[in-house]
Amino acid sequence: MTGPNEIDPKLISHLAELRTSRRRFLSRGAILMGGVALGPTFLAACGSSKKTDTGSGSGATTQTTGGTADMAALKGTTMTMFNWPLYIEDDDASTSPTIKGFTDATGIKVDYQSNIDGNDTFLTKYEPDLKAGHGIGADLIVLTSWEAANMIEAGYIEEWPSAYFPNIANVLSEQANPDWDPNRAHSIPWAIGQTGIAYWPSKTGGTLDSVNALFDPKFKGKVTILDEMRDSVGLTMLGMGNDPTTGPIDQELAAVDKIKSARDDGQFRKITGNDYTEDLQLGDTWVAMAWSGDIASLKAGNPDLAIEFYIPTEGGMNFVDNAMIPIGAKNPEGAAAFMNHVYDPKVAGPLYESINYVSPVTGAVDYMTADGKASPFVNPSVDSKFYEFRILTADEDQQLSTAFTAATQQ
Amino acid sequence: MPDSDETGTKANRWHTPYLLLLPGALALIVFFIIPLFSILQLSLKDGGLSNYTGVLHDNQDVIIRTFYFSGAATVGALLIGYPLAYFIAMRGGRFKNFLLALVVLPFFVTYLVRTLSWKILLYDGGPVVGLMHSLHLLPQGQGLLGTDFAVIFALMYNYLPFMVLPIYVSLEKLDRRLLEAAGDLYGSPQRAFRKVTLRLSLPGIFAGTLLTFIPATGDFVNAELLGSDKQVMLGNIIEKNFGKEFFRPQLSALSFMLMALILVGVLIYAKVLGTEDLA
Repeated sequence: MTGPNEIDPKLISHLAELRTSRRRFLSRGAILMGGVALGPTFLAACGSSKKTDTGSGSGATTQTTGGTADMAALKGTTMTMFNWPLYIEDDDASTSPTIKGFTDATGIKVDYQSNIDGNDTFLTKYEPDLKAGHGIGADLIVLTSWEAANMIEAGYIEEWPSAYFPNIANVLSEQANPDWDPNRAHSIPWAIGQTGIAYWPSKTGGTLDSVNALFDPKFKGKVTILDEMRDSVGLTMLGMGNDPTTGPIDQELAAVDKIKSARDDGQFRKITGNDYTEDLQLGDTWVAMAWSGDIASLKAGNPDLAIEFYIPTEGGMNFVDNAMIPIGAKNPEGAAAFMNHVYDPKVAGPLYESINYVSPVTGAVDYMTADGKASPFVNPSVDSKFYEFRILTADEDQQLSTAFTAATQQ
Repeated sequence: MPDSDETGTKANRWHTPYLLLLPGALALIVFFIIPLFSILQLSLKDGGLSNYTGVLHDNQDVIIRTFYFSGAATVGALLIGYPLAYFIAMRGGRFKNFLLALVVLPFFVTYLVRTLSWKILLYDGGPVVGLMHSLHLLPQGQGLLGTDFAVIFALMYNYLPFMVLPIYVSLEKLDRRLLEAAGDLYGSPQRAFRKVTLRLSLPGIFAGTLLTFIPATGDFVNAELLGSDKQVMLGNIIEKNFGKEFFRPQLSALSFMLMALILVGVLIYAKVLGTEDLA
């Protein structure tokens, strides 16, 4: 390869054409827009699920329960969806097989917009309209579990017109009944991402498998963690033998203290949002807390990159983004019909393989290629344990956020 | 009849400047005064004035660091920018416009990409660090990214044209005969520079330092991309946390305080430099 003092030209061209991951794309956009916009507040997840299995394929059926779905009446209507970037094939709605297949089958047109750039920003922008009960111009929106829980509680979300969404039964069993939305009456996962650890085996001198590699003094100054509270606190808690799905706040604050003292010792190269992948790629970071989708994109763009990603033996964090119908939607039936289409495992398999996120649809893996089935990003090992951060009360959120900000920024 | 005509014209004349002022004043009210007022209001929500004392206490290290970074970047930009502007204005000759274009050229590339490309130059395995290691300017194992130096340097680089252009303008319009006169009166070139050139370019220096210092103080891109958690600036704190509704009152207080600190600093600076007419 190249000497230590030269820049690998491949690296430069790769940096230049790097496929932007969802989060990195957002951060850049936010910075360009002048920065009122809120950085990476969007990830993180809460909820009650414990263990994500991989959708073994059993029991996936396309139900056609009765009800009064009048699909013919929907022909020619338009359904508008707001979603995060990189959540549809090639990030291009005009060529997406999922959308095309839906329109061909139902005659419903889809106006798909990749315009959600953060849970907090989304609510800041649309809350006045939602509060007033006006529509927001969308029939389907996608938000992370903790924000979804807030919105359902505030009454901003419609129930599914269930006659149009029989395939809702295909949701992974551990996602079927979160305590913030019993029986998924208002929401359904769009995608599941993983937070784990990426590293350079050549630099760490061997294979890593624990969360506590992040705190190993051998890697002092060569570690990055995320400024996303629920990911960093959650993984740290796992390393301390605690369970992020249950808390309580004392254990969460103890994890914040551990992060603070590691930071004071110079353990971290950076506590960062979206741009951790740059230092990782350049090799300046040896061990990084990482989002699965980012590492999948990096490796897809540069198959020779000798970076490995693992879900720690203590467990990894999950974030789940949920599709929902906001109140005032003009075409809730079309929205439900679209989700019904996505929840057909034959559709979901190729979709989730393409976007590199874990499918929430049972049996989708059966419709993936051999590569997809082998990808840990799309089809994580059954042995991996995953946790979603518990839903915090408003007071707890403020307490923990204040402590986390002080520990990581001030 | 002619009398009344005249009064009409006079009345029109009286109105004209105010009418001309109207669009600008309206824009200022709608886009500046009203938002400013709403931030002030927000900053007093929940905790009232304790928001101010609270953020001051929590962020004192960050505040000091922010002014240190932007101040150092401004001094650096002045030390590099003044000789550059002087050379272009005095010796540029027919290349003047070309040289000015070169100064502005980096602006044609997005701010973000410019800053990111510094990252490629300064990373641990990169050419700059390698050279400095082999010249023993930098201890082995020590890099440049995530250091104060990297952030100050990048701030200086990114705002340099804002320093060069105003200084250039003030030097360019300097009456050269004054320098000849200084020479005729047996002033040495150094003395002529100090007593004439430097004095007359003070308005340019004043404008240049403000145009560099103020935006550099609010900057967060350089610290985010080239710094680490040891280089956090006020802009980063605001950018990262403003999404959380419960942080907004404190962050608004922080923004207001930043504005007040800059304002006080600028007034003192204007006083010292003797350019009250500009402030």
